Amino acid sequence: MIGPILSVRDLRTSFFSQRGEVQAVRGVSFDVAPAEMLGIVGESGSGKSITCMSILRLLKANGRIKSGEALFDGRDLFKLDEDEMRDLRGNDIAVIFQDPMTSLNPTLTVGEQVIETILRHRRLTRAQARQRAIELFELVRIPSATARLKSYPHEFSGGMRQRVMIAMALSCDPKLLIADEPTTALDVTIQRQILMLLKELQTRLGMAVILITHDLGVIAEVTDHIVVMYGGMVMEQGNVRDLFARPRHPYTQGLLAAVPDLRDDTHHRLTPIPGSPPDMAHPPEGCPFAPRCPHTMQQCVAAMPPLFDGARCWLQHPEAPRVAGVNELEPA
Amino acid sequence: MATYVIQRLGLMLLTLFAIVTLTFFLMHAVPGGPFVSERMLAPEIEAALNAKFGLSDPIWLQYLHYLRGIAMFDLGPSFKYPGVSVNQMIADGLPVTLRLGLLAVICVIALGVPMGIVAALNRNKWPDTGVMLLATMGVAIPSYVIATVLLYVFALKLGWVPTFGLDDWRGYILPVLALAGFWISFVARLSRSSLLETFEQDYMTTARAKGLRPGQVLFKHGLRNSLIPVVTVLGPVVANLVTGSFVIEQIFALPGIGRHFVLSITNRDYTAIMGITIFYAALLMVMILIVDLLYLWLDPRIKLSRQSA
Repeated sequence: MIGPILSVRDLRTSFFSQRGEVQAVRGVSFDVAPAEMLGIVGESGSGKSITCMSILRLLKANGRIKSGEALFDGRDLFKLDEDEMRDLRGNDIAVIFQDPMTSLNPTLTVGEQVIETILRHRRLTRAQARQRAIELFELVRIPSATARLKSYPHEFSGGMRQRVMIAMALSCDPKLLIADEPTTALDVTIQRQILMLLKELQTRLGMAVILITHDLGVIAEVTDHIVVMYGGMVMEQGNVRDLFARPRHPYTQGLLAAVPDLRDDTHHRLTPIPGSPPDMAHPPEGCPFAPRCPHTMQQCVAAMPPLFDGARCWLQHPEAPRVAGVNELEPA
Repeated sequence: MATYVIQRLGLMLLTLFAIVTLTFFLMHAVPGGPFVSERMLAPEIEAALNAKFGLSDPIWLQYLHYLRGIAMFDLGPSFKYPGVSVNQMIADGLPVTLRLGLLAVICVIALGVPMGIVAALNRNKWPDTGVMLLATMGVAIPSYVIATVLLYVFALKLGWVPTFGLDDWRGYILPVLALAGFWISFVARLSRSSLLETFEQDYMTTARAKGLRPGQVLFKHGLRNSLIPVVTVLGPVVANLVTGSFVIEQIFALPGIGRHFVLSITNRDYTAIMGITIFYAALLMVMILIVDLLYLWLDPRIKLSRQSA
């Protein structure tokens, strides 16, 4: 078996302000296999984006990776110096951000923004880089690619801009692509196009993709494995089928219950998860989801549950009481 | 583009006409006149003077005469200095003022912007604190105080530069610094805050995520976007600096036009006041036009709409 392309172990990232330390990521571990698509799901503030920005070491000035390692291709990203890291970014690891409206520089042509990335990492002439940019635009299906190189970002629609971002990210054949909510800022119809494009390119180019999203619907179709994050920690992880068929963590169950099911004809309301995410400046000692969980026990507040075979929940403990639908299959 | 510029020039003429009209009537609404001074003139002499300069004509006639002069770029004779025209006053003072002003403009750009960059790159570290301390002082301390202190230290005590006159290049150093001090500080503060704001933008993160080097990120992606507000103030700054400063010209005994501007007011030298006002207004408008054209180049999102182009 081939080892993972990226292996994150016990990542802890905090932000420091006058208010004190905000523990955004508290011991996250996961693996990404080559050519697989991994989904990271969570609400805003769950630490999913910070996890990825930590891997790239692109945190804001007050953010710090406190501990952990991120083995990429056998090298610990957190031990590289800044020069080595820069050679990696945009080259071996590329990113697509959420908002294509603000992620492209408004004063440079989109062509220039793609070409400069190629020239940074490849020994090519400008003309060759330009040729490569045209190929990339065709790859992501931007119509009349050659002419559009000279356009500025504001002359594109949101979906087309995200295609430019994808072209830019793919320019140096990355081994790993991190897509941070790539469809959140787009129209629903466009969301699907972009998602399918990403999936197609991932399979075709054989790269690994981390897809960050808060939308479970997005993830079900395209990913192989899922990591569910909450309160800066991994709550549950596993492969897509198992996780959707048998979610074992009450949080995952809550997320799934909050997704509308279009095949369902009965007119029942969606079930929201009550309450709000924890304040990461004062994270709870026990399970971060305990205050919102319908099955909270004393143990949940008292101590942090470990991962029981992929689910961080005390109910998965062998001696835990049986709760229908959580650790016991519902009667058929 | 050319049509746009022509349109703008047309608009400028209209604005200038409004300014001429306003200054003219405001001037005549002010009590007193050019020949009412401490030294009492005999009524006959005053009447003769008034007649010579057309001051006894009805005001609308004076206005028409003046407009005709302006149309032929003639700002009229000075009321205070016999035999000297306002055109000549400006022409005499302008070379000195212009040279000082342009040097000051160069200082503002060449010192102010880099100071802002250094401060922004070292946010909350000592270079930032140092630059901001200097810039805050520069904005807060009036130019005549700066000028006097500079003169005292560098001319009087150290003797590195002459105390007055522009006979050699060293004579320019202090007046230019005193003239530019405020604007260097202002531009430094503005560039700093503008750059810091730009650093927060998503596309700056994109630039870093592409693996670009810090220099590329700063100069190619950051600077251009953050210069837009700086360019906005630069237009009026240039107009302000090249029309000189009464205070600085007075302190360094320089024969510029800033001095004429202030003296003409106390002297009620109607034509001189109006002439210099119009000159300043025209210059300001040209600078603003240049700034607007610079925007087109700096920010591709700004496009001339079809109606105006």
